[in-house]
Amino acid sequence: MRQEEHPLIGRSLDMPHAPATIRPVEDAARFNLRISPDNLAEASAAWGAILPARIGELASSPGRLAACIGPDEWFLIAPLEEQGAIEAAFSALYAKTIHSLVDVGHREVGIAIEGPAAADVLQSCIAFEVGAMAMNEARRTIIDRVPIILFREAQERFRIEVWHSFSDHVWHLLAGICREYELGV
Amino acid sequence: MADFRIPGAGRVNHGKPVQFTFNGKTITGLEGDTVASALLANGVHLVGRSFKYHRPRGILSAGSEEPNALLGVDHGPARVEPNNRATVVEVTQGLKTISQNHWPSLERDIGAINDVLYMLFTAGFYYKTFMWPKSFWNKVYEPIIRGTAGLGKPPVEPDPDTYSSRFAHCDVLVVGSGPAGLAAALAAGRSGAKVFLVDEQTELGGSLLSETDASINGMSGWAWLKASVDELAGMDNVTLLPRTTAIGYYHQNFVGLCQRITDHLSSAPQGAPRERMWKIRAKQVVLAQGAIEKPLVFDGNDRPGVMLASAARTYLNRYGVKVGNSPVVVTSHDSAWLAAFDLARAGVKVQAIIDVRKAVPTDLKATAESLGIEVLAGWTVTGTKGRLRVSSVRAKPIDGGSEQAREFACDALLMGGGWTPSLHLFSHTQGKLEWREDAQTFLPAKHVESSRCAGAGNGEFGLANALQQGAAAGQAAAADAGFSGSGASYEIAGEIALGGTTLRELPTDRNTATAKAFVDFQNDVTAKDIRLAVREGFKSIEHVKRYTTTGMATDQGKTSNINGLLIASDAVQRPAPQVGLTTFRPPYTPTTFGAFAGYNRGRLFDVTRKTPIDSWAEEQGAVFEPVSLWRRAWYFPKPGEDMHAAVARECKATRDSLGIFDASTLGKIEIVGPDAAEFLNRMYTNPWTKLQPGRTRYGVLLGEDGFIRDDGVIGRLSTDRFHVTTTTGGAARVLNMMEDYLQTEFPDLKVWLTSTTEQWAVIAVNGPNSRNLIAPLVEGIDLSEEAFPHMSIAEGKIAGVPTRLFRMSFTGERGYEINVPARYGRAIWEKLMAEGQRYGITPYGTETMHVLRAEKGYIIVGQDTDGTLTPDDAGLGWAIGKAKPDFVGKRSLSRPDMLKTDRKQLVGLLTEDPKTVLEEGAQIVLDPNQAVPMKMVGHVTSSYWSVALNRSIALAVIEGGNGRMGETVHIPMPSGTLRAKVTGTVFYDPENTRLSA
Repeated sequence: MRQEEHPLIGRSLDMPHAPATIRPVEDAARFNLRISPDNLAEASAAWGAILPARIGELASSPGRLAACIGPDEWFLIAPLEEQGAIEAAFSALYAKTIHSLVDVGHREVGIAIEGPAAADVLQSCIAFEVGAMAMNEARRTIIDRVPIILFREAQERFRIEVWHSFSDHVWHLLAGICREYELGV
Repeated sequence: MADFRIPGAGRVNHGKPVQFTFNGKTITGLEGDTVASALLANGVHLVGRSFKYHRPRGILSAGSEEPNALLGVDHGPARVEPNNRATVVEVTQGLKTISQNHWPSLERDIGAINDVLYMLFTAGFYYKTFMWPKSFWNKVYEPIIRGTAGLGKPPVEPDPDTYSSRFAHCDVLVVGSGPAGLAAALAAGRSGAKVFLVDEQTELGGSLLSETDASINGMSGWAWLKASVDELAGMDNVTLLPRTTAIGYYHQNFVGLCQRITDHLSSAPQGAPRERMWKIRAKQVVLAQGAIEKPLVFDGNDRPGVMLASAARTYLNRYGVKVGNSPVVVTSHDSAWLAAFDLARAGVKVQAIIDVRKAVPTDLKATAESLGIEVLAGWTVTGTKGRLRVSSVRAKPIDGGSEQAREFACDALLMGGGWTPSLHLFSHTQGKLEWREDAQTFLPAKHVESSRCAGAGNGEFGLANALQQGAAAGQAAAADAGFSGSGASYEIAGEIALGGTTLRELPTDRNTATAKAFVDFQNDVTAKDIRLAVREGFKSIEHVKRYTTTGMATDQGKTSNINGLLIASDAVQRPAPQVGLTTFRPPYTPTTFGAFAGYNRGRLFDVTRKTPIDSWAEEQGAVFEPVSLWRRAWYFPKPGEDMHAAVARECKATRDSLGIFDASTLGKIEIVGPDAAEFLNRMYTNPWTKLQPGRTRYGVLLGEDGFIRDDGVIGRLSTDRFHVTTTTGGAARVLNMMEDYLQTEFPDLKVWLTSTTEQWAVIAVNGPNSRNLIAPLVEGIDLSEEAFPHMSIAEGKIAGVPTRLFRMSFTGERGYEINVPARYGRAIWEKLMAEGQRYGITPYGTETMHVLRAEKGYIIVGQDTDGTLTPDDAGLGWAIGKAKPDFVGKRSLSRPDMLKTDRKQLVGLLTEDPKTVLEEGAQIVLDPNQAVPMKMVGHVTSSYWSVALNRSIALAVIEGGNGRMGETVHIPMPSGTLRAKVTGTVFYDPENTRLSA
């Protein structure tokens, strides 16, 4: 008995002509890592890939995303099947290098925003200049009063990580805006 | 209907007729018309009745400054809106428009009796008349006045439209697309800067749309306009937004723009937003809003057919409409002559140009003569006639006697009193204004934002000035935003000097006490009213404004402010700058509520957080209540049950056997690091060092002031890892407070905080059968009393899913709080529901939770505390670690007034009549026979019907409550004074035997 209820899985937009569309992102393991930047090399070794050193930087490797979202804070996304190995690696690290690794896999829901108008759709409700985000940049921000982490993974692809209780609001908001762009008004 | 349209003339589409109705009559306009231009093309000037005197009113202007021509507009079912300006509403097929403020009809209006009784309705009429008796104001006068006041009828149905919003960022925002704005946008756009050019009108061009005389760079004005707009439209870095009004200018170059999207379409695509609110952050702003022509103030200046000369010129040149067949022009300024010339050239017989100046430019005079127009220089206008439309105007030489007066028959009177620069957006920024004595006007002086003014809005009139200033402003703005470009120069031909003089009321030989010389058309304020206000002691323009209402209402004094100021300054005998200008407030023009709300309506009205189990509760017919941003199941009524019955059943089932409750909204913080226990020592009142892994403790969090801020159960998972819970509403606040202290006060501590509120779904099972329910499902945790006593925590599995299991109770019964990763929440809940059937498992909501905890005297922070209770006041003194050197709030707790015995303290109350449930919030007195106002010593914080005790219970804070055990206190209520006995706070099972039952 391991039936999961994903708040958004199964949803889609029926807007074939919209210049931007949204979809729920497949499930993943997620962690909040807090560690002194002095110990970044050890943390990268435990993570298995380089962790970005600059706030706002997003490092992607196959199946994995690592975003530096604070002076000593990283948001990590990995395939579900790697969850145990990652936890074990950091658990081993703790004995010599203290840090905090907290499982937040179920805290978040991922929403992908894709298409030529993806940045414009987000700009409808985000106050900073979304189009000016670089590729592989991550930001904590607010969308219509909801706190999110926003990744720009490609010129025309963004990803929102949002707490699940807010995800319904964000989904319907973005769906309406995609419709507006489909109409071209 | 009469046809005043000139075939082929103007910028309207003569091949595309559009039918709409005005007061039920079908009117044919053309594509490109406003309702005003279409009405005028059909000879209709009378469009409404005035606000106070119900005087017939016509169309004064051709733009958004219109104070008179306010119509109800009906775009279809539920799309009815009052007070639309006929001068900006675009005609669409099938549009219905109706005039306002009259009964039974526009032509015959009973309310016009006010006009006859006008001597009664002077400034301050209401204040003077409805003074006595004083008690009548709230109950009689104000409701009646409010009932009869107001223009138009508000819509009563929900707005079926959707609205949109959008943020945007640019280097240069140009407001206004007249010649100055176009030149600015061209200069900035050519430099490569990201430019937004916005204009409230349907078409870009501003005054150029009405200008047919001058040429620019060898092209006609219209040809240059087309070339310029085409060039801008071809630039990727330029966004053109017509039909978009800059409504407000806020700090740091943040400008609100309201774009109209569908109102002008006869059919809009399904789901298209009606309007969009742009929220623009611009590096630089160029304000090129132009100027508004001033009306002249004379008796009868408000009759239908009396309009601004510039408006007549706009109707002629832009819309191909003659506003009359035999107009008279009265002016103090050159520009009105141009309207006369253009009309004459279009074949209209202009009866006369009456100019108050004795000396008028000879070239103007010569042109007038060549067109056969009589010129009366140094003359004034002293009155008009005509009931529903002006029929004649009386003029006389200013220096001559009354016998020299002449009466001119006319069907339109065009007035021009000079120009008022549009300062509205500049004023929103609190930019400093400067009085220009020569021009008798205020102009922008010191900018406080990164902004510039250009053209007529800067007091620089004329096409050459506008283009030159606009280009310079655009280039400079782009340069300040980091883009360099070369300047542009413009060759202008055919422009004539725009000179003039500024007057207060026109000179007259008639009795000024009976003159109806209007200053503010929308509020029916006359020159006499303003002078009366000054005589009655109002010296400040802000006071004059409030007393007379001049400059108020939807037009915000666009046509009246300067005339009002000049008259007031004359009356108080002080220069205009000392009298001052009233404040312009956003929005610049009336803006729909929908545009402000944007997407936030219906299910997006507010953010509603839902737990993973919310969908189950909804399917079961739960009644919800909002708790901070969450919605929580309040109670689960069965068919036929009211709230009282449902809560009673839920309470009984939980105490008797088994209840299940969704506690997912509890705030959760994971605290990790070698100094985690020390950090908790410093934050919470309790000691944490000796808490063993696997055990939990109830923690109390204070502010620096020593008052209770939050509470919750905290579990120690391992030496370095704690699972903290907070109140639902306190989750974000507590995490922020902890981070604040960690970063600023305790940076030495090696500890990190992570919000895990939403990582876990939390299911509380309470009741004697709670262990029996979960025991078969739990793996890896020994649930025996010895291994897992009350206040324990352990990690294991439940129904195959990882869990952090708490043994704790907020009901007084044996209880467990099952934390599972959020996405398993609903499945585990349903599994527990299924397995619990044999125990009569009963889901309960927040109301039952409140009752059960109150029976045990467990407090709810924010309900039983109000930010002024110390742990001692709340009966939580036991939770203070007395041996700890410090914790947040410790020092405050030893202040003398915190130790007083008469502080308000939390106690229990039992009413004398056990059936009476006190009202939460009710005030408590000691002596019910004392004189009113009585001394209130406290209030009821929680009050419920207790099924377990078969009587009412209550918690209350009472001064010195701990010393009043057994005393009777009194609760005065509207129905009589209630009596209650002060008790301890624990009503049920004081020995706590049931926690392990």
